[in-house]
Amino acid sequence: MISESEIHGVDYDDLAPNTHSVEDENPFATMMASFDEAADKLGLDPDVYAILRKPDREIQVSLPVHMDDGTLAVLEGFRVQHNAGLGPYFGPLRVQGALKMDDLRALAGWMTWKCAVLNIPFGGSAGGVRMSASRHSRGEVERTVRRYVSSLLHDVGPDRDIFSSDVATDEKIMAWVMDTVSMHARHTENAVVCGKPLTLGGTYGHADSVAQGLRAVLAPAMKLAGLDAKGVRIIIQGAGMRGGVLAQALVQDGHKIVGLSDVHGAFYNERGLDVADLLKQRAGAGSLRGAKGTFDRITNEEMLTRDCDVLIPCAVAGTIHLRLARKIAAKLIVEGAHGAVSSRAERVLADRGSLVVPDILSTGGGAVVNYFEWVQNRAGYSWTAKVVQDRLLRFMTEAWTEVEALSQQQNVRLRMAAHMLAVRRVSQADRLRGVYA
Amino acid sequence: MSQAPAVAPPSLADEFNPFLSMAQLFNTAADHLGLDEGLREVLQRPDREMTVAIPVQMDNGSLKVFTGYRVQHNFSRGPCKGGIRYAPDVNLDEVRALAAWMTWKCAVVDVPFGGGKGGVICDPRKLSQSELEKITRRYTAGIMDILGPDRDVPAPDVNTNEQTMAWLMDTYSMHVRKTTTAIVTGKPIALGGSHGRTEATGRGVMLIAREAMKKLNLRPQDARVVVQGAGNVGGIGAMLMHREGYKIVSISDQYGAIYNEKGLDMPAVLAHVKKVGRLEGYKEATAMKGGQEALELPCEVIVPAATENQITTQNVERIKTRLIVEGANGPCTAKASKILDEKGVLVVPDILANAGGVTVSYFEWVQDRMGYFWSEERVNNSLEAIMVKSFDDVANVAQKYNVSMRIAAYILAIDRVATVYRLRGVFA
Repeated sequence: MISESEIHGVDYDDLAPNTHSVEDENPFATMMASFDEAADKLGLDPDVYAILRKPDREIQVSLPVHMDDGTLAVLEGFRVQHNAGLGPYFGPLRVQGALKMDDLRALAGWMTWKCAVLNIPFGGSAGGVRMSASRHSRGEVERTVRRYVSSLLHDVGPDRDIFSSDVATDEKIMAWVMDTVSMHARHTENAVVCGKPLTLGGTYGHADSVAQGLRAVLAPAMKLAGLDAKGVRIIIQGAGMRGGVLAQALVQDGHKIVGLSDVHGAFYNERGLDVADLLKQRAGAGSLRGAKGTFDRITNEEMLTRDCDVLIPCAVAGTIHLRLARKIAAKLIVEGAHGAVSSRAERVLADRGSLVVPDILSTGGGAVVNYFEWVQNRAGYSWTAKVVQDRLLRFMTEAWTEVEALSQQQNVRLRMAAHMLAVRRVSQADRLRGVYA
Repeated sequence: MSQAPAVAPPSLADEFNPFLSMAQLFNTAADHLGLDEGLREVLQRPDREMTVAIPVQMDNGSLKVFTGYRVQHNFSRGPCKGGIRYAPDVNLDEVRALAAWMTWKCAVVDVPFGGGKGGVICDPRKLSQSELEKITRRYTAGIMDILGPDRDVPAPDVNTNEQTMAWLMDTYSMHVRKTTTAIVTGKPIALGGSHGRTEATGRGVMLIAREAMKKLNLRPQDARVVVQGAGNVGGIGAMLMHREGYKIVSISDQYGAIYNEKGLDMPAVLAHVKKVGRLEGYKEATAMKGGQEALELPCEVIVPAATENQITTQNVERIKTRLIVEGANGPCTAKASKILDEKGVLVVPDILANAGGVTVSYFEWVQDRMGYFWSEERVNNSLEAIMVKSFDDVANVAQKYNVSMRIAAYILAIDRVATVYRLRGVFA
């Protein structure tokens, strides 16, 4: 367990750091640094700026929970609500041993901007329970989650704050959240949480939402990068629900996947890989470690530098760092994971003429489909898989079009344009609503 | 809350009083329906009225108390819907009449709302933005108990706008501890407003004109149109009609009218208005003294979309047209309407012709409740479906009862509200 001081040690003044180094390890400062730059470029009114620099509300709750062995553990839960200008708060519920308040603050702010870029009528929030789910029984996790939700009842709800799934929160946990809120409300209230099982008001298209969102922005991004509509050579890092699903979809779209990897294996074939076969082998063996076929078996890092037109890193943050950036051949890099390209690496890539599509836009499919789940729950009417797919395509395409236009109009990179678009939307809403009482 | 009088005070009595015209129309329509006395009284009297004192700390430090009203005329068909106006001459009688008007208008286009109206007695020209904001927030807090997405949904009106609605929405949301965009319509797009709302009334006018033309067997290219008003209703309506192939021969604003018998190039006219703020000085047309004079031009269609009492017993004999589409509220007086009927001029009444605005307000409320927003195309298509159906509904009633479209619209509206009232019964 992590000591108390790690949370309480965070001075509230951290919300307004004096330096905004983009290389700062602190995720909140990093998030705020991009925001500061966007606000600066927009010439944002200092009053509105001051509002956006602090979360609206931070809640911390103590969670006494009976463990299976009869002892009582007192765990801690958090919820940070960043900005409600555009609508109810919306953000992940995290169950994690190393949960930090500062991470949650950054995440909550990040969710505000992400929703704004994608034109989702939500503000951002983030929260969770500090607990290693893998070290506890399901019963212990369930009691903890239910107690956490009960403690937050006054602050969450379909029009107040909506949970989405995240690190170590699966469908089952989302179902407990829904059940706890519903029992207290004395009626079924499924719009309070997204990522639920289909039978409890979940939506079609949830599992592959990020992959489908990536696919949707890829087409206009390739056009901008001057690539053909078909036969483009693509390397994808990651072979699961994001990378794997995306690879299959792109083969269907007529492209060539020349590189594919998971944590245990990376493969390259300049004439194209047999994606369906590799994913079948992975499904059977649980990883790509022993996969057979016609390809070079190389390291993950080497794969990223091999010859290709498009590179899509879908694994972890910081995959493409400064040193690696100098060796990257791709004309177009689409971030398939949050922070896949470091800020320094992005500058190098830009100097080399490569285009980077930022995570806040490219990985937005997940948030969009979560929002669709909320809409369907409120209407009490479920959409078909096709309706979800068509509307996801519309949201991603509209967001791309606005980001690209702003990028050209302001002569800034796509990442900055996405941040500026987000900051502009949120500050416009805040200004219109005015300062209450 | 005070008790409303059952009959309008006598001060409202003359040809130029549109509220009195409405009261007369109500009685005529009720006679056709054979409505019993009890129901007549129910439908003429507002369900609820609220008067609130609005204390405001002015910029100079002094305290001033304003008076605000909210009248809910009838909520049998759903939550009340209607604007909030800020003006020095706001008074309870006017607010009552306007609330009733909203009940009939919502019923004609069959949107699930009753009628409401509100106002604050103040002179916005003499108030700062911050004073206006304070008035709006305190007024909202004062009437909050009778407001709500399922109770009463205000909208902009005279001297109130998107910003006023944003303040109202924020105040309500803060009090109920949750974002409630559906509390008010006419919001900015950034805060849950709807696409197509600004053009909604003008678009509705164009659609109604199109349907009426079909009824008269007139083709757009054969129609010379005179439009009075160059703003959201007249200007946009004229532009959309121009796009459909009509010949807009004259358009006017408060400073004067312009005329071109070959038809005005509407995009160029509106570009000119945008640049100089008025029609005056537009080159490709002849200038005329005023909008009322232009109404006497020979034409097939007149769209009076400016203010009330434009076609009266004073000028009705000189009107040479086949169709009048009332874009404004009450542009033809009751007496003039009767003469127009006798002359065989088809008059499409205000509560049908300018209902495009409240229809898209209804769409805004629907979208806010879903939290899912429609494309402009979807809004326009849905508006078209409702306007066309409403026109047919009114035309059918007119045929069935052998009455003018104006009386038919009231018969239809009163029948719809009365039917719901009978079904629900009298709540104990």
